[in-house]
This record gives sequence, structure tokens and C-alpha cells, in this order.
Amino acid sequence: MISFELNGKAVEVDVSLDTPLLWVMRDHLKLKGTKFGCGMGLCGACSMLIDGVSTRTCILPIAAVANRKVTTIEGLGNPQMLSTLQQAWIENSVPQCGYCQSGQLISASALLNSNPNPSDQQIDDAMSGNICRCGTYPNIKKAIKAAAAQQVGVQTFDPKATKGVEV
Amino acid sequence: MSMINSNASRRGFLKSSLFAAGGLVVGVPLSACATTSNEHSDGNNFVPDAFIQITPDNVVHFYMPRSEMGQGTYTGLTTIIAEELDVDPTSIQVHHVGAQNDYVNPEGGLQITGGSNSIRVHFDPLRQAAANVRAAILNAAAQQTALDVSVLSTDNGQVFAKGQAFNYSEFVALAAKQEIPTQAKLKSSNDYKYMGKDRPRLDGVSKSTGTAQFGLDVDFPGLHRAVLVRCPVAGGTVVSMNASQALKMPGVKKVVTIYNGVAVVADSYWQAKQAAATLTVEWNKPEKLASFSSDTGKKWFEEALNGDDLEDAHEEGEGEDGLATAAQVISAQYWAPFLAHATMEPQNCTVKIENGKCDVWVGCQSPGVAQGLAARITGLSTDDVTIHSTFLGGGFGRRVFSDYVAEASAIAMESGLAVQLIWSREDDTRHDFYRPASLANFKVGLDKDGAIESWNVSRAGPNVLPYFLDELVDGKVPGFMPTGLVDWLSKRGYGLFDGLSVDESSIEGLHEDYDAPHKYVQHVTVDPGLPVGFWRSVGHSFSGFFKEGMMDEVATAVKKDSLAYRLEHTKNNPKLNAVLKLVEQKSNWGKNLPSNHFHGVAAHNSFMSSVAQVAQVSVEGNQIKIHKITCVLDCGFVVNPDIVEAQMKSGIIYALTAALYGEVTLKDGAVQQSNFHDYAILRMNETPEIDVHIVPSDAAPTGVGEPGVPPVAAAVANAVFAATGKRLRSLPLKLS
Repeated sequence: MISFELNGKAVEVDVSLDTPLLWVMRDHLKLKGTKFGCGMGLCGACSMLIDGVSTRTCILPIAAVANRKVTTIEGLGNPQMLSTLQQAWIENSVPQCGYCQSGQLISASALLNSNPNPSDQQIDDAMSGNICRCGTYPNIKKAIKAAAAQQVGVQTFDPKATKGVEV
Repeated sequence: MSMINSNASRRGFLKSSLFAAGGLVVGVPLSACATTSNEHSDGNNFVPDAFIQITPDNVVHFYMPRSEMGQGTYTGLTTIIAEELDVDPTSIQVHHVGAQNDYVNPEGGLQITGGSNSIRVHFDPLRQAAANVRAAILNAAAQQTALDVSVLSTDNGQVFAKGQAFNYSEFVALAAKQEIPTQAKLKSSNDYKYMGKDRPRLDGVSKSTGTAQFGLDVDFPGLHRAVLVRCPVAGGTVVSMNASQALKMPGVKKVVTIYNGVAVVADSYWQAKQAAATLTVEWNKPEKLASFSSDTGKKWFEEALNGDDLEDAHEEGEGEDGLATAAQVISAQYWAPFLAHATMEPQNCTVKIENGKCDVWVGCQSPGVAQGLAARITGLSTDDVTIHSTFLGGGFGRRVFSDYVAEASAIAMESGLAVQLIWSREDDTRHDFYRPASLANFKVGLDKDGAIESWNVSRAGPNVLPYFLDELVDGKVPGFMPTGLVDWLSKRGYGLFDGLSVDESSIEGLHEDYDAPHKYVQHVTVDPGLPVGFWRSVGHSFSGFFKEGMMDEVATAVKKDSLAYRLEHTKNNPKLNAVLKLVEQKSNWGKNLPSNHFHGVAAHNSFMSSVAQVAQVSVEGNQIKIHKITCVLDCGFVVNPDIVEAQMKSGIIYALTAALYGEVTLKDGAVQQSNFHDYAILRMNETPEIDVHIVPSDAAPTGVGEPGVPPVAAAVANAVFAATGKRLRSLPLKLS
């Protein structure tokens, strides 16, 4: 029996200790927002926050999260109560197929929690573990900056984001 | 993909019906092939045709005929409906649809999402259908309010009459009893409230909160997970297997042998995967494919191009003879490898068979074929097979094929259990329908002034169509054909269909774009037997690289600016000419570049759209670094510019992966790559700045999902030539 905190609530699961956290979440706890992409920790689709750190859960045995805090996409917000980051994702139409976006949001949220105003280079560094086959990277970057601006209460001017104006 | 044209009729009849709690329901005549009979409707158990529905609570429902795989049809098609209905698109409830004839694509007669045609072929019929519904509501409102229709107006789901506002739903009961207009007047583009504007995607909320349902997210009590072990060489079958260890493992319910492998069915995925790793299977491998290895296999293609089996595929002017008068002939050979699609969501399918009915949950691009395959495998009639469609975690052409539906159906049949078949990333990389490898020889004849006089090209490689027809025979041949005959047809698919004519997708894009008095295209099939399919932009995915590399070589040979040379040879192709001119301006072509940066240009027509791109590249050692791509697109009228821009970036990033990394190789017929460590995908830190410009247009909409792909590799390779003087004629691009 493994106990941990999931999205702010205590949970207990009784599964084989080598079962990856991803599959405990999807098959046992029935939280389907976190996705399976590669099974080797290479693509980031399965990312969850473990004590605030974006972690690949397709290769993380459930035993490793005993007594720790796990946050999934469901814990970031929901359609009725969106986080600032999710709001920015929606306003910037980030998702295309959408499959990798839970993992992208988890990594972006870990970044903004530790660095409220990241540079382009810092965004690249934090997000390059998450593959998006639809190529939503430019919009992800835009949304992270928009959320950062919102969170620190500073408006940044990005001339490229202004459409229809020739400079 | 090539599709056969049908005469989609905008004047096809509409129907309306009022049922128990349903409100007004209107069919949309998408295609001349569509039946609009409503045999499943009995008032209580209503299975919808393609339609717009307005319920008594004033909610508009849209049953979306195409699949959403990221390309944006969910938002685009809904916005089209919303505009003519005069309803805010965000208030419309959008539904995925199952398999039904009413939802066949107006082109090709199959229920397929592909060919970058979703907006193009639905733009007129959906607008007309929605306008007709609005007119019907206005007519009913005029009667109920005893006012003339001319004094009524609408906005966001309400009718306004002399200062009073009424919900559409108040007039739905009356409208449903009356004849629906068939030719209601469409809005002028000046009056558009929703179309032509940047608006957030309608699936943005669900896809940013983990609540969008993909095939893999389907679950219900009693559902088991299945892992299938397949032959490493595609098409192989099981000779014998040993499952004694697997059967002892926790959670394992059944181990079953199906037509292409051995499946472990367990309570959970992890259990099934662990147990599958203990199976030992002896395979019967297909001989031809098992004899093919990539290190020596390219010879198959070279020998074919030098052999006697080339077929004539296209001819203009004096064809081959046109070359005889050339003052100079430039020749070169180009190569593109097999490629996997690598959708982020691995293939999967959920099947439940109970009481003579089969339910299939799947996100795919061909629900109709999926239904047919499930019916054939289970022995049920298609009427007893229900497809429940979900969002697709990427398509790119991979999910036109429904092989995973056939597998899941067979596993459910053999095991007697409800199963969700989950492919691993390794399964997905090794059992794809790959972009066909291709080798092409060009001979371009020039006149004394250096202008192109004759354009000769021959291509060797496998063809997509036979593999697709093979699946169609299984999935769509009527049930009354004896099983033996279908099996024979299916196995003969390749031989039966390949000889009929040259598959258009094998040569598309090789010869069309540039002016030349004489053209001659030949084709020879070389097919090792690795399954091939529709990979984002299909034939254009290699022909765009080949043709645009060749065009650059010719311009270089006659010492002309490569962009100016293209302009000189697009006088009969004004749309391509115009995007080239604009990309010259927007990229600041050849000007003000940092000292070690170089430009390369490429342009290509595909899916009725024109795209020109300029790549800005530097080379350090053997490293190619791409700094920026400037892209100009003409795709006619744009429903949502923001989504079109995102699709261009998407296509460019997809194509950059292919240009820099993409290569599937075989060893004794087995695919060698397995996961993202050896089949790399472009990541954020490798993605260049991408600057997209859309040509303003009121012309009919054309393709968007695929046309961004074809020019990319050539634009980069041409920039590498400018930087190094080295001409890269093989993909992926490597300096060594």
C-alpha cells in the first residue's frame, strides 16, 4: 500500500510497487488527463509535478512517490476554474491535437513557479523535454510569456504579437 | 491524397423533423453520394445524420462530419455554421460523429478526413445549410409574431422583432413542421461577424485542462487492456508461441493468437506489457520484405530507374523528344527515405462485443472503414457495429488506416473480453504505414538563353494506393461477397490495383509547377513490401524536396538568382508567382543578412494552395542551424487566420524534423528505429523563428493542413548550398 498526496488530497493505492505512476493514475485512479507517449521518459507527455518538479511518470515506479505531493493536469485547474497559465493557453490557442498539452502545461507551470519571468532561453531549457508533434512550440512560448506577464503584473510589449501593423 | 471528384450538390434536398425532445433537426447535403434517409430515427432512439440541431433549450448542436486531429476543423467548420446561423460559435455544442453514409467526404465517397480538404469541401454546403436553417426560423418567427419577415433580424441565437428579443428555440417547433428553404441568401463577406477573424480555438478549454477525450482515455467497468506482440517484419504470421510464463503473471486474463500476432489481455496496461515481454513467438516472415535491408536496398531503386520497366506517367509538348533540342542538359538524382508519422498518441482502439453488437471507440480519420473492418473481423453486419469517435492525438495521415481497429476487434473476439488495445511507442514506430521511400532522376533541358525547355523526371518507389485499397477491400467490400473471395482480393490487392495506372500520389508535385514547353514523367514501382501510407502531404512530401532542389541546381547552372529564375518560370502559374514575389519582400531576400547567414528559397503548389518559403541558415562545421523560416501562403479565403498561421508553423516544424532527422531504416525487413531516442522529433530549443504571411483573398478556400510541409527541406538545403557550395540531394540533410 502506497500513500501520497494527489492534487491536495491523500490517496492510497494497492498495486505492484514497480507500476509506473502514470499507469496507476490512468488505470487505477482513473485520472486520464495525463498521457502516455513513449514509455521511456523521452517525450514528456506523462509529466506530473512531484513536490513541484516536472517529472516523467511513465518510468517512475509508484514506490518512489510514497508520502510525496503529486500534481496532475487536473490539479492545475479545470474548465470552471482555470489557472492563469491555462487561461493563457486558451487565449493563445496553443493546443492543436492537444495530446501533449497536459505535459506541456505541467512543465510550464513548474517553470513559472520557480522563475516568474523567464527569458526565451530559460523557456527553451525548461520546455525542451516536452515533444509536440503538431509544432505548437511558438504558441507555447507566447502563452508562457503572457501568463508570466499576468502573474507579475507587468505588461510586456511584443511587436511580433501585434498583427496587421507594419513597422 | 488523391480523391475522385463527385458532384457535390449545394441544392440537394434538406429535411427537417421534430422528435420527442429534439427540437429542429436539419440534414446537411454534403455529397451527392450521401443518403438522407433517416432509417435509424424512431423518435426515441435517434441516430443522427449529418445535421444541425436546435433544441428547445436554445442550444445549437453541430454534428461535425470530419475528425479533429489538431488541424482545426472543430473550430473551422463550427465557425462556418455559426456565421450563417448567426450564433456565437462558442455557444455551439460540437459532437464527434460515428460511421454513417451522410458523413462521407464530398470528395472520394468515403468518410475520410484528409487531403487538406475539410474547409474547402464543406465551406459552401455548410454555409448554405446554416443559412437555410436561419431562414426557416425567421419564416416561423414571422408567422408567430404576425410580422413581416423583412422587419425581423437576428443576432447570436435570437430573433429581434420590433424591439423584442426571442430565442430561436421559440420558433423551432413551427419551423420543423414547415418546408425548409433550400437556397436562402448567404451573407456577404462584409457582414461576417466570426469568419475571417482571429478567434480562440473552440477545443482550447478541454485540451488545456486534460478533459478532452482521446481514444486512449476511453474507460468503463469491465474493460481490459491488451498488448499485441507483432512480427518484426510486417505481414508476418504466428507459427507457434509459448505463453506459459505470461499466463502465470498477475492480472493476466487471456493470451490469444490473432492473424498478425499474439495478444496478452490483462486487468491493466502495465500487467499486460510485463507479461507480453515473456512471450516467445516463432514467426513466418514474408520473404521479400525479410530480404530487404536499407544499406543495400537503395540499389533496388537505382536498378529500377536504369531498367526497362518505367511507365509513362505524364507528357506535355513533345515529351521525351523535347530534350533532343536542348542547348544544355542538367541531371541529378534525389532520394527520400521511409518515414514514420510518430503521432503523440500511440495507436489504440477499444472494442466491446456483447449480445451480437460491437461497440468501437477510436479516434481515426476513416470511421467508415473502421466500421467495415470491425464488422468483417467480428462477422457482424455493419448495422451492428457502432463507432464512437473521439479526438485524435495527431493524425498526419497515419489514422486514415484502421489496422489497430482490426487488431482490437480480433483480440476482443478471440478473448471474449472487452479490450483496449494500446500500442507502445516502439509498436507505433515499427508498425506504421510509412511515407514511401523515393528515388528520382531529373534531366532538365535548357535553351540557349538558359530558360527551361524540357522537364524530364522519373521516380522509383512504392505506391500508397494499393495499400489503401487493400484495406478498403477488407473494410468496404459488401458483406455478400464470399469471405474466400475477399481474402483473395485483399491479398491480391497490390497486384490487382497497381497495374491499372500510375498512382497519382507517386508522382504528384514532380512536374506541375514550372513553365516548360516539354514535360515527360515516368514511373517505376519498387516495393519491398513495407506498408506505406499517407504521410502529411503524401507525394508532395518528397516531390517538393526533389523538384525545388532541382530547380535551384538549374538556376545555379545558368548563374541566375534562384528566386528570380523561379519567377521567370511561373508565368503560367500566377498564384505561385505571387507568393514567391511576396516572400522575396517579406524575407528581405538575400539582403542585410549577418555575415555567416544564407538564404534558400523553395515554392510548391499542393492541395490547391500555393506556398513559398525562405530559410535563413548558417553552417558551423557540419552543423546546419536554421535561424528563421519566412512563409507566404495563398489558400483563398481564410475562416480563422490564427489557426491557418498555426497550421503553417505546424507543417514547417513537422517538415524540419524530416529534413534534419527523419529516417526509417530496415534490417532484414525489420524497422530499426523504435522510440524518440533513435527517431528524433524537433524540440522547442531547435525550432527557428517562423514568420507567416497569408495572402488576403476572397477566392474559395483551399488546403492548409499539408501545404506548409513540401517546400521546407528544399529551402533549407538550398540555403546550405548557398553557405557551403555543397548540394544535398538526400534526406535527411547531412553535411559530412
